[in-house]
Amino acid sequence: MLPLAFTWSDFFQQVVFGLAIGAVYASLALAIVLIYRTTHVVNFAQGEMATFTTYIAWTLTANHGWSFWPAFFATIVIAFGLGAATERVIIRPFERGDPLTLILVTIALFVIFNGLIQWIWGPEQKVFLGAFTPKPFDIGGVAISRQDVGVIVVTLITVTVLWLFFRFTKLGLAMRAAAIAPVASRLMGVRVGWMYAAGWGFAASLGAVSGMMVAPVVSLSPSMLQSVLVYAFAAAVLGGIESPVGAVVGGLLLGLATTLLGAYVSFIGVDLELPVAFSVLILVLLFRPAGLLGRQVLRRV
Amino acid sequence: MPIWLRVAGYAALVAVIIALPHFVGSFTIAEFTYAAVFAMALFGLVILTGITGQISLGQGGFMAIGAYTTAILATNHGWPQLLTVPVGGLVAGIAGFLFGFPALRLAGVYLALATFALAVIIPSVATAFDHFTGGSSGILLELPTSPIGALSVDMWLYYVTWGTAAVLFVAALWFVHGKRGRALRAIMENELAATSSGVSLTHYKTLAFGVSAFYAGIAGSFYGILSFIVTPGLFPITLSILLLAGLVVGGARSFLGAIVGAIFVEFIQVYSGDVLGPVINTAQKLGLPIGDVDKTTPGVPSVVYGVILLLVLFLMPRGAAGLFSRIAGLTRRVV
Amino acid sequence: MKRFMLVLGLTAAVALLAVIPGALGRTQATPGVTSTNIKIGTTLPLSGVAAIYSRIGVGMRAWFSYVNARKSSVDHKRGVYGRQITLNIYDDGYQEANTVQQTRRAVEQDGVFAMLGGLGTENQLAVRDYLNQKKVPQLYVSTGLAGFADLKNYPWTIGWQPDYAQEGILLGKYVKANIPNAKIGVLFQNDDYGKQELEGFQNVVGKNAIVASRGYPRGGGSAAVTPLIPQLKASGADTLFIIATPQESYTSLAVAYKIGWKPNKIVNSVGATDTFMAVAKQIAGSPDAVEGVVTAQYLKDPVNPKYANDPQIKLYEKVMDKYAPSFPNPRDDGLFIYGMAKADTFVQALYRAGKNPTRQSLMNAVSHLTIKKDGWLIPGAKLITTPKSAFPLRYQTLSRYTNGHFTEFGNLVRTR
Repeated sequence: MLPLAFTWSDFFQQVVFGLAIGAVYASLALAIVLIYRTTHVVNFAQGEMATFTTYIAWTLTANHGWSFWPAFFATIVIAFGLGAATERVIIRPFERGDPLTLILVTIALFVIFNGLIQWIWGPEQKVFLGAFTPKPFDIGGVAISRQDVGVIVVTLITVTVLWLFFRFTKLGLAMRAAAIAPVASRLMGVRVGWMYAAGWGFAASLGAVSGMMVAPVVSLSPSMLQSVLVYAFAAAVLGGIESPVGAVVGGLLLGLATTLLGAYVSFIGVDLELPVAFSVLILVLLFRPAGLLGRQVLRRV
Repeated sequence: MPIWLRVAGYAALVAVIIALPHFVGSFTIAEFTYAAVFAMALFGLVILTGITGQISLGQGGFMAIGAYTTAILATNHGWPQLLTVPVGGLVAGIAGFLFGFPALRLAGVYLALATFALAVIIPSVATAFDHFTGGSSGILLELPTSPIGALSVDMWLYYVTWGTAAVLFVAALWFVHGKRGRALRAIMENELAATSSGVSLTHYKTLAFGVSAFYAGIAGSFYGILSFIVTPGLFPITLSILLLAGLVVGGARSFLGAIVGAIFVEFIQVYSGDVLGPVINTAQKLGLPIGDVDKTTPGVPSVVYGVILLLVLFLMPRGAAGLFSRIAGLTRRVV
Repeated sequence: MKRFMLVLGLTAAVALLAVIPGALGRTQATPGVTSTNIKIGTTLPLSGVAAIYSRIGVGMRAWFSYVNARKSSVDHKRGVYGRQITLNIYDDGYQEANTVQQTRRAVEQDGVFAMLGGLGTENQLAVRDYLNQKKVPQLYVSTGLAGFADLKNYPWTIGWQPDYAQEGILLGKYVKANIPNAKIGVLFQNDDYGKQELEGFQNVVGKNAIVASRGYPRGGGSAAVTPLIPQLKASGADTLFIIATPQESYTSLAVAYKIGWKPNKIVNSVGATDTFMAVAKQIAGSPDAVEGVVTAQYLKDPVNPKYANDPQIKLYEKVMDKYAPSFPNPRDDGLFIYGMAKADTFVQALYRAGKNPTRQSLMNAVSHLTIKKDGWLIPGAKLITTPKSAFPLRYQTLSRYTNGHFTEFGNLVRTR
């Protein structure tokens, strides 16, 4: 592979790309963190659920003539229902079981949602028009897509809202309590089961947001978020799995790192982007076994 | 269970395994050959995940190491294919042992991620170093042949893989027996308690990782031989996940259960698209208003696969092993 | 000790059974062929990332349904010499391990007569030795690797579409003749497919004309190629050549537009169909992203207004409407017509294999099949197969995307 001459405009171009893709990782990572925080389940189906709800948004806009923003908010509501229902119907019977079994249940969900998408909407890619035009504006030779800016802004807004929600609302506090101390919460009158369902609902809504942000960039297809999920999972863990801010930082860092490494370390190239990113990640975990922003839990006998 | 019943049970199992290929077609023989291979990988997971409690989403990655070892030695260096199998196991085992050191510091979801990363990384690395591995195109292997004229190649491979699986089965039982077994189980129950009662985490955890990867490497070598080609695409993350599913279906802590899990892994892959037809027919006969579904509609095999997995998890929460002990309980009452 | 002896005895008894030869040899003249039916199989991804290619199977099935229902002008019978054709479709999820298993299942358990149109270069390479050993025809595989045209070493295997190396040469010649002093940036799939086409291309344009090339791993998807396009732009290239699968192709075109790069665009035939151009256009938000894309073409394009009244395209639409009604806009997707044209080639070969076809007679027919006027191909193109040159489709023409569809231009070229 030929090494390229370094120019600042190209560097900033890659930085913009890295941040945009990082924002996508971050938004899905947020959803994973949310479910983990409220129910202590790592949901492998997060990406497929998000894609599923994005197809619903597509149906609303393409087949029923809705414009983007109404479809966007309607989908968020539908996604909440879908997530909560999934928790109540499918996750519930396994809740007290082996954590390994729970992981497998979410993997089964992954397969089912992916299959349903192909079954209902077909395997072909759909064009999903987003809220922002992809038309770039130019700053000193660096083309910045309005779409990419939109994705970054929406992600930042989402994380702020989420933080405020958990910090200052009763429901948010109850959800946190239910996750940390389910028995005590039940005694305090918190309906723990419903808190879990709400956690899944909020996570599905978040996933829907990231799905609807990604779809216009890469086109809507059944496997749209599968490669993103790998990075989102990594971002969530890097950030400390329970920390929304950590997930965003982790996502942006991963996006930047992979893009820049792939572009400037010619030895790495595209093939080794993933291995290098993950090796760095494992290294980070060795020094901070609970992620960048996670809290070390004291181990007791 | 009385000991004679246990011995008779094992004898019957061995008899069934030996006799089976004489009563079924060549493709069914091949399917059970694959099942033997998955069983080897699952024995390793039973040791690592089921008994030592270290969750691994990376078993497919170690299989890839075994398979590439076989492909490179056999195709590029002219080794007889079966001779490469123990080497594949060793190379994977060493890799697993080394991976055990960083894994020492990780637990729970973090360990799951690290092993998941491994399953993702190894095929990518294989893609990148195309000089050795053939890149995305992989390495073609020669079709296996049978050295014994009276045995067809399918039967030969069947007996070789089941023979190997049997040896690995006994070795696994021996491995988790006695003091070492107690140490591994202690780690699963409570690491800190294990350490304070003198169990060396470093020693036992890396050992468990190494042995488990050795099993996966052997399985991977055979998997490559059976697939006629070794490419990065042979080891998608879904393979590791499927193996984990096989582990849970088998009951996680039982080597006998792992065999059931392995058969599950093989048949759900091949037939998940075909289950729907009979189900719909039955439903229609019962008068339910269900239309026909073309099983070649994209997505249908996936949905069926996922639903079967959910049902199995729901109906057999303790896997096949749980079922065994229930049956054993019944026989105790009867006998 | 007694117990041990019991186990040993039982085991030995059963082991004895093992020595007794297994199944008695079955005597069936030709597997998969009865007096009323011919059963064939194909492996395609119905699940996973490449499931879109299941549409090749839809096209093939629709054509066989049509052949099974119509009365032939050859023998005035339905089907081929009165036999109905059944196509079993096996899901391999685009994974080689599954391709091997499903192919074995088709051959050994379901007893198919031949395999037709299996998808994927590596997938079909994996089963090539096996099918040749079993002497089962591996017909018209859905990949353009030149290695599938080697009847001397693999007498039971043949490809169908023009091979990738020749397509590379054709596109290289176009660049050389029309873009003087081109500085070319190449995006290619880093496997046999991409490398073979790139090699053909490079042999024509010369090594120095290629200022940068970037490979991505098979199955990489949008994420793998997005960061590569700015690198190609930064190399100072004025021409972009894409050898990829559809998703990477349209993503690259859209990204190039988004970063304000306006090179000459060449896309090979795998990624350049009307559907995917439309996708690129909409992701980029502007028709400029795909305007002027040049590609090579060998089948009639149902979207091209030139063929609006073409009898073959009319028949294509009729057959799709009747036998694949769940796809209301078959014009839009080149994969249906690809499958249907391929199925028709198989039907033509089957007629020539005689009234009682065997696998051998089928291969004889396939290796000598010549069709002077094949309505599926670009006018003037012929289908020619000889044992020495087993490239059934070998005529291609250049085509340019303007005003929402591809328009053929230049001469029809015989590439082999």
